Amino acid sequence: MKYLVVIVSLVLFSSCLRLDDNFYNLEDKITEYKLDNYTGEQDFILDNSYYIPDSLIHHFTLSSKGPDDNNATTIHAIYIGSISKIQTDTVIMYCHGNKWHMDFYWQRAKLLAHTSGKNKYGVLMIDYRGYGLSEGEPTENGLYADVDAALQWLKLKGLTNSRLMIYGFSMGTAPACELSNKPRSMTPSKLILEAPFASADVMANDGSGLNMPGSFFTNLKIDNAEEIKTISQPFCWIHGINDNFLNINTHGEMVYKNYNGIYKEAHRITGADHGEIPAKMSFNDYLNTLSTFIKK
Amino acid sequence: MLRLFAIVVFIGIIFQNCAPTRFVKPLAKNQNAISANLGGPLIHFGNAVTPIPFTSFMYGRGIANSTTAFASIHTTAMLFGNFQTDIGVCQRLYKHDSLKFGITVNPAVNMVYDKWNKNFRAWPQLDVNIYKDILKDKAFLYIGLTNWFELSAKKAHNETQKNHALINPHIGMTYNTKKWGYTLECKFLQMNKKNIPNVVDYVGIQQKGAVGIYLNFTRRF
Repeated sequence: MKYLVVIVSLVLFSSCLRLDDNFYNLEDKITEYKLDNYTGEQDFILDNSYYIPDSLIHHFTLSSKGPDDNNATTIHAIYIGSISKIQTDTVIMYCHGNKWHMDFYWQRAKLLAHTSGKNKYGVLMIDYRGYGLSEGEPTENGLYADVDAALQWLKLKGLTNSRLMIYGFSMGTAPACELSNKPRSMTPSKLILEAPFASADVMANDGSGLNMPGSFFTNLKIDNAEEIKTISQPFCWIHGINDNFLNINTHGEMVYKNYNGIYKEAHRITGADHGEIPAKMSFNDYLNTLSTFIKK
Repeated sequence: MLRLFAIVVFIGIIFQNCAPTRFVKPLAKNQNAISANLGGPLIHFGNAVTPIPFTSFMYGRGIANSTTAFASIHTTAMLFGNFQTDIGVCQRLYKHDSLKFGITVNPAVNMVYDKWNKNFRAWPQLDVNIYKDILKDKAFLYIGLTNWFELSAKKAHNETQKNHALINPHIGMTYNTKKWGYTLECKFLQMNKKNIPNVVDYVGIQQKGAVGIYLNFTRRF
């Protein structure tokens, strides 16, 4: 009996370290957004033909308050396009990945602003709480609240559901799926996922080679593989075949397979690692793929 | 997200490989031993290479001259709210007295319970070792395989589990004094997995897996 007491005590009093706080990659601290003048590491740098005039780049802050928040958090956002045309334009809500801040993703957002032609569609990008200059600490619920705050802003500017596309890259696929599946302020009409993450369980399985649950490491509940099952919006999936971080077979194919909605298309990119899809596809092919899907 | 992946791989390695082989040679009948294990995968840290210091503690008792039972507590896993233990026996299968070598196996069960979501998993483990006495029997060298087995037919999201055995080779040496034993073991962990790019800068072989170094201090009584 005393051994049982000892074992139970060890379980109860074992420490509370979790990896959750380490998941958010906030390593590169910035004091201002530099956009085209940013010289830090980036996945690719566009040439001058992708130039966006300053008049179409709008940096502003939003107040984000989710259902679990006691106080609002100020987050930073960048809209590429004419704000006055949001009433009539199609807009891509770009949910960036886990790394750093909007400066790192600026080239990607700028590229998206060339879908179907230069500034044909508006692009909105935010830094989740804790990222870049946004206040607060990152949390899973905070990701959803912050993207929803961005959607509230778009709605206020006159965007309607039918002209809202949501695009998630890597960790950004979590809010993209969540807000497509359980819409808050707006319901995206189409969903684009680049290099999606399936779930913490898949990560733990991949990492260990065993049927190890994600709960051994993390309390994160992100589960795109399950969430996608009840998403009905048309769905475009893009994944690098050589993705060394989020394996195309265990993560991407799983998400794609589980989609049961009205339309889906898959783009498996030969030779592309996690951050390499636009460059490996060629920017033109990448934009044409998105344009065709959005216009369908 | 890249960071998350790297950490999970990292922890996956920890769970499976936070200790050296429990017993290469069985204890004498009724002999007891407690041991502390320290070590883990080698990483580049600044200009140096160092093992990540994972820890576990073990108790063993000789239940026959060729059979030793053992149980352990994985203290690093415990830091993350997981109670992990491995319980098993070391069984000598063969011993050649004049050539001074033998073969042993360590069948064991690894069990992990997480206090957060109440998930429980158990994996059989089978370590196989061949040892050779040296230095007038004060020490022995050994080589072997650490094998973990996944018995579940399914994995996350009800997908089919295709790999049911994880095999990590190791080599080591134990030096014994009258009461103490000191072991240095080197494992090649996850030898089929690419280790780059990675937040944790593992020391692997041809960009695969990680080399792990482990120390074991055993007190017999």
